[in-house]
Amino acid sequence: MMKKLVLILKSKLVWIALGGALFGVLFSLGVYEGLHRTSDDRFCIVCHEMKPMVAAYRNDVHGGAGKSGIKVTCVTCHLPQDNVLGYIFTKAKNGVVEGAIHFFGNVDAIDWQANRVNKDHFVKDEGCILCHVNYRDNANISEKGRSMHAHYASLKNTDQAVGCASCHAEVGHQGLRSMLNYYHPEYDYYKGKLDKYKDAVEKKLAEEMK
Amino acid sequence: MSNKETMSRRDALKLGALSTAGLAMLSATNAMAAAPTEKDVKFDEEYDVIVIGTGFAGLAAAAKAAERGYKVLILEKMGRIGGNSVINGGGMAVPNSTWQKKYGIQDSGELFIKDCLKAGLGINHVELLETIVKRAQDALDFSIKCGAKWQDVKPAWFGGHSVARSLVTDNMSGSGVIKPMHEFVEKLPGCKIMTRTKMDDFVMSADGTSVVGVTARINYRFDPKLFSDDIENKTGEKKVYKAKKGVVLASGGFSMDKMFRKLQDPRLVEDMDATNHDGATAGALLKAFQIGAMPVHIDWIQQGPWASPDERGFGVAPLLTQQGLFKFGIAVDVRNGKRFMNEMADRKTRADAEYVILREAPKTYPVTLGTYNTFEEQIYPIIEKGLTGGVMKKFDTLDALAANYKIPADALKATVKKYNEDVKNGVEDEFKKQTLKGDSLKELKGGDPIDMKGPFYAIRLVPKPHHTMGGLQINTKAQVISGNTGKPIPGLFAAGEVTGGTHGASRLGTVAVTDCLTFGLIAGENI
Amino acid sequence: MRSKKTLFTVGFFVILSAVSFLIASEGSPPQASPHVAMTPELKEKYPIKAHHAKLSLRCTDCHEKQGDNPEDFKAIGDEGCLSCHKTKQYLADRLKFMDALHVNPHNSIHDGPKLYCDECHNEHKPSDNMCLSCHSNDVKIWMRKTP
Repeated sequence: MMKKLVLILKSKLVWIALGGALFGVLFSLGVYEGLHRTSDDRFCIVCHEMKPMVAAYRNDVHGGAGKSGIKVTCVTCHLPQDNVLGYIFTKAKNGVVEGAIHFFGNVDAIDWQANRVNKDHFVKDEGCILCHVNYRDNANISEKGRSMHAHYASLKNTDQAVGCASCHAEVGHQGLRSMLNYYHPEYDYYKGKLDKYKDAVEKKLAEEMK
Repeated sequence: MSNKETMSRRDALKLGALSTAGLAMLSATNAMAAAPTEKDVKFDEEYDVIVIGTGFAGLAAAAKAAERGYKVLILEKMGRIGGNSVINGGGMAVPNSTWQKKYGIQDSGELFIKDCLKAGLGINHVELLETIVKRAQDALDFSIKCGAKWQDVKPAWFGGHSVARSLVTDNMSGSGVIKPMHEFVEKLPGCKIMTRTKMDDFVMSADGTSVVGVTARINYRFDPKLFSDDIENKTGEKKVYKAKKGVVLASGGFSMDKMFRKLQDPRLVEDMDATNHDGATAGALLKAFQIGAMPVHIDWIQQGPWASPDERGFGVAPLLTQQGLFKFGIAVDVRNGKRFMNEMADRKTRADAEYVILREAPKTYPVTLGTYNTFEEQIYPIIEKGLTGGVMKKFDTLDALAANYKIPADALKATVKKYNEDVKNGVEDEFKKQTLKGDSLKELKGGDPIDMKGPFYAIRLVPKPHHTMGGLQINTKAQVISGNTGKPIPGLFAAGEVTGGTHGASRLGTVAVTDCLTFGLIAGENI
Repeated sequence: MRSKKTLFTVGFFVILSAVSFLIASEGSPPQASPHVAMTPELKEKYPIKAHHAKLSLRCTDCHEKQGDNPEDFKAIGDEGCLSCHKTKQYLADRLKFMDALHVNPHNSIHDGPKLYCDECHNEHKPSDNMCLSCHSNDVKIWMRKTP
């Protein structure tokens, strides 16, 4: 028995294999940690322009404000969930593009409220369905809700397809419009008059996300 | 111009009857010209008390009646609750109030009545004023019981009052009373409010003497685009409701009734605005006349001289003129650049002066102007509103101002020069303006009332109907009196602006809320 | 020996899937509504708002239980609107930033969140703004055109 063991240990192949395995584990761990740490609100808020979105998210059931305190990370809804490679590729692409805009562009001039017309594009339905699997036949949903979900299902994969967010406009970010207005008022009349609300939001964020 | 001072009650009755007859003929196309009796109808639902209107008076009456255990139905023709009562400034004058006692203000019922009689040119029905003096504190307490919150500050001093006696709601709006009272009434068992439900007519007893119910239309939709909604609007489905104890009419005034108001004051042309909401019409008032109710002071319509044609309704102009441009500034006739009135006189005097100009030259609205020192700090936010909204304009020079309003520039400058000089020399102006005497001058701190260095602010003026002092005659128990018998019409009560006599020729500010809440409470107590 | 096992296993799974199917069909999607054929004439006579058209909503999605002839349809009232738009308080909260300056049309100082939807909002004709009946000069500063 011992002779066999020594022979195995002397073999280069085994060491290469073990080394490869260790490297694979470390690499996977690295990728995992990298992905994981860039997936939640603590990361996203590093870019200050995301503050109103994170603040609204934290007031939402999906951001932990519900009874159970369950949280869904930003990427679950905002990155593709049906394909790991698609997920990683989109994440990397967004990182580069958004990073470039943050450092070289003028982020404070972005009209976020106007951009919400594109919410179907950046809210991924498969993210919602990861949890809300039984949206078609959950008896706790009203009859009207279920008939609208049937309508949604009938339009899937057609050119009139709608997204979850087409109707559920504030899910994930409760009070988003108001938050955005505290930071970037839609109308001149409000400019300078909502500052105390913005300050209250900033204070709360600073305390909660120390 | 009608000679108001000598119009007698008989004339008012004649005029009222004439317009009633005219309207009756017009409404002959309707099913019935006269009120139906209980023999002609079949009741859909039965109640103890039916209240028409959800303003201060209506809700107070309903709340009191329901508190006493009655089953109350409240009909509101508009989609929103409250009518004029939710769009006002929330001020209530209470003589001898607990507030006055707390803040050390000496007042008396006699002084309150004296003030009202002075503004009312002495034709007020004093027994109604005496009732207010006796019961206003009760009405205030009742409003608080229903949830109204009044600011815990020294009462405000409104124009025409001898002492400060006006309380203001927390949110500075009548809705500060209406919203909680509405919730209070909704929670009371046996109380039902139906909006978009229009009272069409009274249902009389078989012998025609008493009011036993009303006919109405549910799913009625008021249409502000119609010339006379009361006559032309046919929406809704007919219902008949029985009122075993009686009906309280709290349908408000008629400042926005283009037809009826013009009959009383022909200067009120059809396209004239008012400070009131669109639904302030005379329909229900006329139905009461038709069953014999006695009319009082119908053609006394108070018009606010502080309003502007450049905005709808009350707007911001009244604050900017009354607490600003009128104080130290002047108002001029744009045709000749001269002053034409005492800018701080009572409402009627100023409105009449403005009408003199408008009768001669329709739509050449007079202009009031002043400079920066005429505004107090607390209305600076309103100045911004006035300028952004376009009601008030700002000019660097008097020439620019004159050019904008087509006023002869030299004449205007001469007027301003003389005005400033008179104040400096202590000479009383031709209109005997009070604010340029004595203590008020100290606020000017030695400067000119219109500082020639500018900038200058200007607002165009037009009188706007604000309150209809006249209406149904009531006794001190809020019972409506019949012109046929001289006695109360059994089953008919009324409170608020739909009644007449309390305010006489001209109402004092913040006394309307008192009148409405007090007599609403009394109606609810006596029905 | 083998065939008995197979039979047993197959049978077990058949019954299992049948039971699962029965359980799953407890809360099934509701019945399909009557169908209204959408013609260009109908579209012109009863246009719908862009934000509803974007969702490809059909006549019967709002006019539920009213048959299939658009000429017979009646206004759906507050209840109808709120069957999707939740509650008046929720709508007031969505415009919370306007409360700061007391210009929230869904929570005005006069009426609170208690107005009828159709005081302002119409589906098949342009909407109104009730605030304009008095605040003629200010409304355009506070908010956009009523959807």
